[in-house]
Order: sequence, then structure tokens, then C-alpha cells
Amino acid sequence: MVQVTEHTLSNGMKILIHEDHDVPNVALYLFFKVGSRNERPGATGISHFFEHMMFNGAKKYGPKQFDIQMEKAGGRNNAYTTRDVTVYTDWFPRSALELMFDMEADRIRDLSFDPKIVESERGVVSSERRTSVDNNPFGTLYEQLNATAYIAHPYQWPVIGWASDIEAWTMDDLKAHYRMGYAPNNCVVVVSGDVTPAEVLPLAKKYFEPIPSQDPPPPVRTVEPPQLGERRVEVHRPANLPMLMLSYHIGAAKDPDFPVYELIETLLTGGRSSRLHQRLVEKDQLVLSAGGGVRPSLDPGQFLFTFQVRSGRQPADVEKALYEELERLSKEPVPAEELQKAKNQILADFYRQLKTISGKANLLGSYEVFYGGWGQILQAPAQIEKVSAADIQRVAAKIFSPRNRTVATLIPEQRAEVKQ
Amino acid sequence: MKTALGILLMASSISVSAQVRLPEFTREQLPNGATLILLPRHDVPLVSVRAVFRGGAESEPAGLNGITSVTVEMMRRGAGKRSASQIDLDLDFLGASLSSGSNRQSAWFALEFLSKTAPEAMAIFGDILAQPAFPEEEVRKVLAQTADRVRAAKDNPAAAVGPYFNGLFYPSGHPYRHSGSPDELSVTRINREEIQKHYRRMAAGRNLIFVASGDFDPKQFAPLARKIAGALPPGEAFQPPAPKDPRFDRPRLLIVDKPDATQTYFRIGMPGIHRRHPDRIPLLVANTLFGGRFTSLLNDALRVNAGLTYGATSIMDLDRLSGAIAINSYTPTATTVKAIDLALDVLRQFAGKGVSQEQLDSARNYIKGNFPTDRLETSDQLCAILAELEIFGLDRRDIDGFFQLLDALTVDAVNAAIRRHFTPDNLQFCLVGNASAIQKETAKYAAAAKVISIKTEGFAAPDF
Repeated sequence: MVQVTEHTLSNGMKILIHEDHDVPNVALYLFFKVGSRNERPGATGISHFFEHMMFNGAKKYGPKQFDIQMEKAGGRNNAYTTRDVTVYTDWFPRSALELMFDMEADRIRDLSFDPKIVESERGVVSSERRTSVDNNPFGTLYEQLNATAYIAHPYQWPVIGWASDIEAWTMDDLKAHYRMGYAPNNCVVVVSGDVTPAEVLPLAKKYFEPIPSQDPPPPVRTVEPPQLGERRVEVHRPANLPMLMLSYHIGAAKDPDFPVYELIETLLTGGRSSRLHQRLVEKDQLVLSAGGGVRPSLDPGQFLFTFQVRSGRQPADVEKALYEELERLSKEPVPAEELQKAKNQILADFYRQLKTISGKANLLGSYEVFYGGWGQILQAPAQIEKVSAADIQRVAAKIFSPRNRTVATLIPEQRAEVKQ
Repeated sequence: MKTALGILLMASSISVSAQVRLPEFTREQLPNGATLILLPRHDVPLVSVRAVFRGGAESEPAGLNGITSVTVEMMRRGAGKRSASQIDLDLDFLGASLSSGSNRQSAWFALEFLSKTAPEAMAIFGDILAQPAFPEEEVRKVLAQTADRVRAAKDNPAAAVGPYFNGLFYPSGHPYRHSGSPDELSVTRINREEIQKHYRRMAAGRNLIFVASGDFDPKQFAPLARKIAGALPPGEAFQPPAPKDPRFDRPRLLIVDKPDATQTYFRIGMPGIHRRHPDRIPLLVANTLFGGRFTSLLNDALRVNAGLTYGATSIMDLDRLSGAIAINSYTPTATTVKAIDLALDVLRQFAGKGVSQEQLDSARNYIKGNFPTDRLETSDQLCAILAELEIFGLDRRDIDGFFQLLDALTVDAVNAAIRRHFTPDNLQFCLVGNASAIQKETAKYAAAAKVISIKTEGFAAPDF
């Protein structure tokens, strides 16, 4: 189902190649193992800022040229930053393959730091923050939740960074971060699409192999101490509807219980038949939407719940109903049919990720970075199949304890006077 | 000299020269008037099915805007012998995913399922299309949820600016004046009886386009599809309205006051084209260069050079009726005028100067390079594009000939289209932000100006 050619260059850069000739296009994904967990107070958000700076000119391809050349060759790009990784994503017709290797190598090796461009990009990122956090109730509450759920570990600050830090990064901060994160040995390259390994490997050797390896980012030493009691945070701001978010600490992606977390996620929030949707949206009609779940992370992560509370309803009632559902999970074994339903959903979702070359590139890179190797993809269906009703009870009892939770509530400061 | 330069540039650039073709498919008309299209392909063990009904916002009675989206949602909330929660449970058990929605000219359901579950998944789908029960209790629940969704949308100005712009741009009585979602007023008028009436008009064989693509054997699958698509009564084919196109004799400015906003979200529009307009191909190129990609003139000026925003784009509607070409961006409250002035400068220069051969080549490559992954890669994309051709009365030549038409475009043709449609006079400005901070300085954009509170019901503009 998933056939991959794997190669490690002499500088430590890993290349994964997946052939797929459905459309004459290629997805090239570069996973750099640097994210907001590799930052420090005062320079938060700098990995995300680099996501932007990597498009602002290098030695051979100057300012704007990465985008200009790429779009002219029929391609498009984007990038995303998380707490753990920064990922550059290029999609293009196969005719642009060599150009992309040349341009990616140029910016990994020789990025330029023009002070004028740094200032302009600072404005762009401030605007992004204003629109995704300050003018967005969800973004505001999510930021406060994490700042409360973590007290020691870097997952406590937002990936986009605190507003004051965005204003304050210095040129030295930027250059040091670039050296730390953008080493070829800190990167996994995934190529998926209308290519063959015989085409790709010579290009990887020509363009990427001469880039010297460097010391990888220093290990993140801080371990979040166990939470010893419930934490709560309130946000008061103008809004029409209240909002509620909860976080429970869980293990990292390599935790052997991770497949159990995924099944719990599907039982609780996967599809309209999920327990939380049926209970909170349909039966009790307390919320408009019940979202959440787990995401793979390098350090111990979170089980997250997010609720858009209905008008006239109280977040406290949502909490009460949620706790009942979480307790039911640890007290009563999940009926065999419901467990099978969740397993079917996960398997179908897995196929959905394989529909596109982008989906395949992203899946391969994520497995390589988070789960200890892309080959784990082949084990994933069996690992899900193995999870038992007893596993779910055991894990639910472990993670969903009141002392392990953080609750964030958005309280509307003024209600719009709308008639129903 | 110009020609020689053009040839040189083309020779030195990477050309995206391959043509695209839709894969082979079958198309038949069923006795009840429904159109059935089947396109088998076997890359992953999934099947996508799409049922599209002609109508959408264009078919909504006055005052009941958004009723199509409510009707579509209601159809899955109890059908045949299954209750709403039984449908959800049965679909999830199969690992199937059902999505639905409506736009300006249609309502649609998309179902994706594992190929081995085709008989079970299709049976549920058939019930949803032909046997919806519209239980009273579910109607009440959906309408109450819908009312809250409208409230939540107004908490997010980035999402609210689109509906407000439509309320300003399209004249009263035009079906595109509403964005396809109910507002605080229409949601009070929608009820079970109206939903049933709307369903009966919509769910007619003559209005149905049924498309399937994916991992199936047509011999086994076609009878299944015929049974479901053929089960609806023939009914009457929807007759679309023919309102006058939006035209303006003066600029107008609407400020939607959200006092707590720290940014201004703006959309500035002018009359554009429809999906079958002869200027579509040159305008696709023009809009790509103006605001349709990252290196576009708008994004380059506002984001890359000035750092005033996270993004500046232009949106070109391509619907059955003529829509807008609109600039869309946002910026901190304090730089509102600076950003809008800059956007207008870019527009005026583009309208005056047009594009060069090098720009045309770049945009053409960009459109061609992205088209396969945007529209032709997956079974659900293929279902969507085949249904779209039917809705607009087009056939496969629209796709198979697309790259040839792009290749044949000249600079003169693009610039002539720009002169016809990029008209910087009489622009329509819609701003969502802190009115007290921006009202005075933005007054220069239009003598005709209005301010409304975001708390005012609905998204329509007041009379100017």
C-alpha cells in the first residue's frame, strides 16, 4: 500500500521518496525538527517567524525570488509551524523538480537577513497574531488554556509567540535560531508524486548533500511536573456566545498508549455518532460543537476538548455532562460494536489521508518524526485493532482525573441584543 | 523587440506544457429526468458519491434566505426507517463520511465510503435523498442551533465581512444578496412546513445530478446508483431567475461597527463576470496576477513590501449570474487608510497598465501547474467537477480544452479584458471594524456612506 525508498545523505539528511503517477505533480515536504518547544521566554514565536523568513531571500535566489520562481514554474507553497516542527510544503508540476531542489538548498544553506525585510515581516506576523488570536475568541481562549495547563515546559507559550516577543526579536536571536534549526541533519525530506527515486536521488545528492551538518538543537530538558490539582482560567471579552476548553496531560506520540488515546478521541468526538456529539449537541443541546482530541507530540502532550456553548446555557452544565461521559468511559466497558465502529472510522480516515500526494507526504514525514519511523505506518492499523475495551477503561481512568485537568472559560462581556 | 524578448523568456523558463483530460466516464439520463455519471478508478479502496440538486440560494423564496442549507441539514436527520441518531451511527459504523451544503446555484450531498460497504452506505444515502421525515423535534433543534451559529459568526469579523459585502453589493431582490446561510431574521420564518415545501420543489428527478467516482465495478454499482437516483419523482426542473446585474453609478461605503475590533477587515468590489462569460479565461489570468496568488500585486504591496497585513487577495466570483471582483484584506485599525489607499493604487495601476508577456506566462504556468492537484486528483474532486459542468450546462470540453485556451491567450486579449472589467470608479466598500476610529478618515472613499452596528439583525446594508 505504501512503498517508500529511503536514503540518508552523508550530511545526515533523510530522504523518503514515494512514487504516485496519478497526476503530473509532486509534493515536496521538508520537516525541520524545530518548533516553539525549542524557544525561550523573550524569544517566543521565533520558529514561526522563521517559517516566514525562509521565504525572504537567500544567496542565489534573492528577496521574493523563491515565490516568484516557484509560481512561474507552476508551483505553490506554504509552511506550518507547531510546537515540535516547522514544515515547508511545496506542490508543483514535475517539470519544476530541479528548480525546487536548487531553491530549497539555497535557503537552507545561505539565508539572508535584511533588516528592512525583517521589520516588514514582523508587521505581517503581528497581523497574523491579531487575526488568529486577538480578534478570534477561540484563539484567545486556547492561548490562555495552554499558559495555565503548563507551568514549566515550553508548550506553555503560543506557537505564534507573545505579542511583546514578536516586537522584540533581535538579529542575533534570528541568526542563532537559524543555525540551530536549519541543519540538514535536523531535516526529513519527503517527495511524493510523479517522480522516480532514480530522478530524485541524484538531485538530492547534488543540491542537499554539500550542505554541512551542524549541531542539532539542544535537548529540551524541562519536564512538565505532574499536575497536583485542577487549574482554572477565565477570559472576559466581548462575544455573543460563551466558550469552554479543557486540557488533560497525556503522553507523547511514542507512548505505547497513544493508539488508545486515538480510540478514545474517536469514541468521544469522531463523527456525529460520537458520545460527546450525541450527548452535548443533540440530547442536552448545551453546545453547538464538541471538538477535541489528541495530536502526536515529541514531549508529553494534551487531550483537548473545545466547546462552543449555546446561548442561554452555562459552561458549568457542559462541564458536568462532560465529566459524566469521561467517568462512564472508565467505569463501563465500551460495547464491542461501538469499539468496532471507532476502529472502522480510524481505518477509513487513514485511507483518506492517502488520497492525495500532499496527504501521503505529510503522513510519511509525520510518522518519521513523531512515531520513530515512516515504517510505523504499516503497523498503525494493527495497533488500532489491538486496543481492547479494558485498555480504554484503564487509560481513561488514568488521564481524566480532576487533578490532571485545566479548564478555560470564555465569558462574554456583553451579549448582543438579538431576538430569536 | 517585445516579441523577441517574449520568446527568449519562454525558452528560458520552465514551461508547463502538458494538457489535461478528464478520465473516461459514462453519462445517462434516467426515466425520472435525473442525470447519472459514473467514473470508476482504483487508487484507494474508497468510493465518492455526490448528489447535487439545482437551485441553491437562487431558488429560495423571499425572506427565507438560507432555507436550502437548513433543508439539506434536515434531510439527514431522520429518513426512511432510521432516526437522526441511527443515520449518524450507521454511517460512522461503516467509516463513511457524509457532508452537505448549499451554494448560490445548488444544494449538495457528498458521501465517501469504503468500497466493500457500498450496498449499506448507498441504502442510507437513498433514504436521505428520497425519504426524509423532517421530525418536528429535529426541526426545532436545527433552527435553534442555526440561530446560535449566526451569533457566533458575528464574533469573528474575518468570517462576517463576506456576508456583509454581499448585502451591500447585490440589490434588493437579487438571490446573491444573501450568502446562503440564514440570518437572525430568516431563521425566525423558517419552519417545518416551509422546509417540506422547499424539499418537494428541490428533490425532483429533473433537478438531480448524481455522480459517483472511485473503487467500484460499474456492472455492480450502476444498478445501485440508478435505483437511488431514479427513486425521486420527476417533478419540475428549476427555472433560475434572471435579475439585473449589479451596476453602480457612484461609490458607496458601508462600515459595520464592531467596537472591540483591533483590526479593520475590508472588502472592496466592482462588477465582475459569470461562469460562462467569454472573458473567463483572460480574467482568470488577470485575477491571478492581481490578487489570486502569493506573488500577486496586491499581496506583494500590502503584505510583502509594507507589512500591513497577513494577506491581501482578490476574489472573482464565477457563478451562474454575474458576481463581483473584490479586494479582500485586513490591517490594524490605525493603518486602515494606509492599507486601503495602497490597495486602490495597485488597482488603478493594474487597470491602467495591464500585464506583460512575462506576467502572462507566469500566471498561465501557475494556473496549469495547480489545476491537476486542485481539481482532478481525488475521486471527490472529480465528482465535484463533473457536477459543476452539469450545473453550468457545460461538458468535458470545458476541462479538456482548458489548457489549450490558456496557451492561446495573448497579452492583448488579457489587457482588453482588464480594461473591460477592472473599473476603479464607483467601487463598493465594506469595512468591519471600530467605526469611531475609522469613520472620519475613510469618509473620503465615498460620499454615500452608512454605519451600522454588528448587532443589527441580518447582514443586509441599509438603504443608501
